[in-house]
Amino acid sequence: MTTRPTTAERLDRAVDAVLAGASAPGAAASAGLNPADRALVEAAATLRATLATSLVAPRFEARLGARLSGVGGTPWILRHPGRLIVTGAVGSAVGVGVTAYAVWRSRSTHRLLHR
Amino acid sequence: MSIEPRRAPRRGEPDPDLADVRAAQRDRAAFGALYRRYLDRVYGYCFYLLGDHHDAEDVTERTFVAALAAIDGYRDEGATFRAWLFRIAHNQLANALRSRQRQRAASLDTIPELPTHADPAGLFGLAEEARSLRRALGRLPDDRRQVVVLRFVDGLSAREIGAVLGRSEGAVRVLQHRALRQLAALLASGGPGSTV
Repeated sequence: MTTRPTTAERLDRAVDAVLAGASAPGAAASAGLNPADRALVEAAATLRATLATSLVAPRFEARLGARLSGVGGTPWILRHPGRLIVTGAVGSAVGVGVTAYAVWRSRSTHRLLHR
Repeated sequence: MSIEPRRAPRRGEPDPDLADVRAAQRDRAAFGALYRRYLDRVYGYCFYLLGDHHDAEDVTERTFVAALAAIDGYRDEGATFRAWLFRIAHNQLANALRSRQRQRAASLDTIPELPTHADPAGLFGLAEEARSLRRALGRLPDDRRQVVVLRFVDGLSAREIGAVLGRSEGAVRVLQHRALRQLAALLASGGPGSTV
């Protein structure tokens, strides 16, 4: 024995149809709703037409998108450890070079002053 | 811009978001596809429940940050990804409402007007209808309003809404029925000021 769907179940079917693009009268009729309940499907169609509007500010969308890519992603340098070593080595070499140059300059200045 | 609600998967159908979820579990950068797909809907849910753009942005941000942090723990065990995501949004909303002690959305009238590229006469009628509908929506009890927003803004099925709100599918259908009956009566009476 099959049980007859409740009004709430038939209305839910009609809402499914409205959300899929069916007209309110067609959705109400195919769901087998009473004429008294067809106003509810009209209300559902009005809801679908008026509520489904994008409200998000583009600036917020961009800011949150950037934050999420920062939260989820690994910093670029950590994704390439080889490049991290090279960057460190180059940085150290530059540091040593600058220090050596500074020492050489100060010594030559010192020599010129005491000649 | 209009959000086209994504069709809810029927019982037994695979979750259409599952491939993107798997990709995001392997590489967090792939979460961007899910973010772009659901930002409007999560934001709409938050806004229609909170009635304030700043609060809606705050809760939307918390929702996506929490979802990204927990994405590895998502398992395809009955609830769809979007039901899981909206469950997170629902919890964040509950926290926000508790902490701010805001009982009802008070400023639903502040929703931006519809885009102006449609015909002006039809647009005027639609804008008026939208305004009175939003006022009527603001008069619904919270549980009915949640069901209406999840159903009509976010396109979730009764089963998915049940997973979000922690209720049975049948209870969600009954809430939807009552909400539509109340809304239809409010709209027919010419204004949301009447009691239903």
